[in-house]
Amino acid sequence: MSTNTLHFKIVTPEKIVYESDAKQVTVPTESGEITVLPNHIALVSVLMPGELVVVDSQPVYMAVSGGFIEVANNQITILADTAERAEEIDEKKAQEAHRRAQQLLTEARNKTDVDFSALSAKLEKELARLKVARRKKYRQ
Amino acid sequence: MALSTKIIKKRIRSIGNTKKITKAMEMVSAAKMRKAVNAVLSSRHYSKTAWQTVMNLVQKIDATHHPLLQPKEKIETAAIILISGNKGLCGGFNSHAVAKALEYSRELKEKGVEKQNWIVMGKKGGESLTRSKKNIELDFVKPDLIEGVADVLDLSKMMIQGYLTGQYDQVSIVYTDFTSPLKQEPMVKQLLPLTQSPDESLGQTAGTKEEKPSADTNEYIFEPDIKKVLNHFLPRLIEVQLYQALLESNASEHSARMMAMKNASESANDMIAELTLIYNQARQASITREIAEISGGKAAIEA
Repeated sequence: MSTNTLHFKIVTPEKIVYESDAKQVTVPTESGEITVLPNHIALVSVLMPGELVVVDSQPVYMAVSGGFIEVANNQITILADTAERAEEIDEKKAQEAHRRAQQLLTEARNKTDVDFSALSAKLEKELARLKVARRKKYRQ
Repeated sequence: MALSTKIIKKRIRSIGNTKKITKAMEMVSAAKMRKAVNAVLSSRHYSKTAWQTVMNLVQKIDATHHPLLQPKEKIETAAIILISGNKGLCGGFNSHAVAKALEYSRELKEKGVEKQNWIVMGKKGGESLTRSKKNIELDFVKPDLIEGVADVLDLSKMMIQGYLTGQYDQVSIVYTDFTSPLKQEPMVKQLLPLTQSPDESLGQTAGTKEEKPSADTNEYIFEPDIKKVLNHFLPRLIEVQLYQALLESNASEHSARMMAMKNASESANDMIAELTLIYNQARQASITREIAEISGGKAAIEA
């Protein structure tokens, strides 16, 4: 089967965040950012916190934290822990959250009983949100 | 006779009070149910998609890639997780779940699985199992308000650990599937090992089944490699499945309670109507008799 469009779907435990046809999708994975074009080979990979771009007629930007990506038969399914559309992110709040995460992390360095990796994951996530939020501003 | 009308009146009042309570409980349950149903419906997509993805993968790859996919040669110890409610007054919700679990336990026994360890979540299930002298290994507290996947994190970690170390050879879960506010069904689902059986997946009740995305001819590539992906994915899947089971049970419990309370309120209404009729009859009878006595007395004087 050879077509020129992908079917893209991203779900989180809360809801289906976005579902549409797409010409290309760029995803942050553990081994780097990849772009999936139509007729991509079946692939399974681990999603990293970062910026996800779905391009149909216009690019749609999303911030995602960890999760999984499955590509098969021109279907891209993303199982994300959290995902937000750029329009949904308030840049000020994102900045604030990022600052808080950073602060928590520096405080945690002195304490051993805090789950350090969870905090750094949070920081990464907030950073990704901030990045996507800023992207929105430049476009306007 | 005056005494009997008094008793009936008292009883009517007492039923009225009970009705107030059941009515209030119905309202509370309805509100909780709405929330729980929203939660369960919204997370179904995720857990369904995750389950389908893994089942898709499992058919394509060798089970030897990950220990969680590999069935044990002989099943000696089974772990059964039972999710029930913390409170009663919800119709047959708890007893149905327990009955299903015990039935499943008998089935396992017939298959030669003698050692069964029970893990309970929810007070009522634990109490029933203690009464039937089951070996309860772990007793988790079922949160009254489910906050997120974190509520089942410990449970899922222990189950995975238990399976990997050989403490259990099979892990199943008994929960109540939420179909509609009127219909809930206790179900058994095998969690570990993750086998290829095309069984009903969690939250995939009749009618919501979707065709599987067929990827027959495709060989999957894994990035960075198959081990890493599975190491990430499988524990997460177990968590999500447990979480979904918890949500399903929660939604079922609240709807079962709402229905039970609705029935109770309706029965109270019926009883009040019936008793009011009896009361009026008794009252009328006593009045008639009084009049008869008076007129009888008058007739005696006049005679």
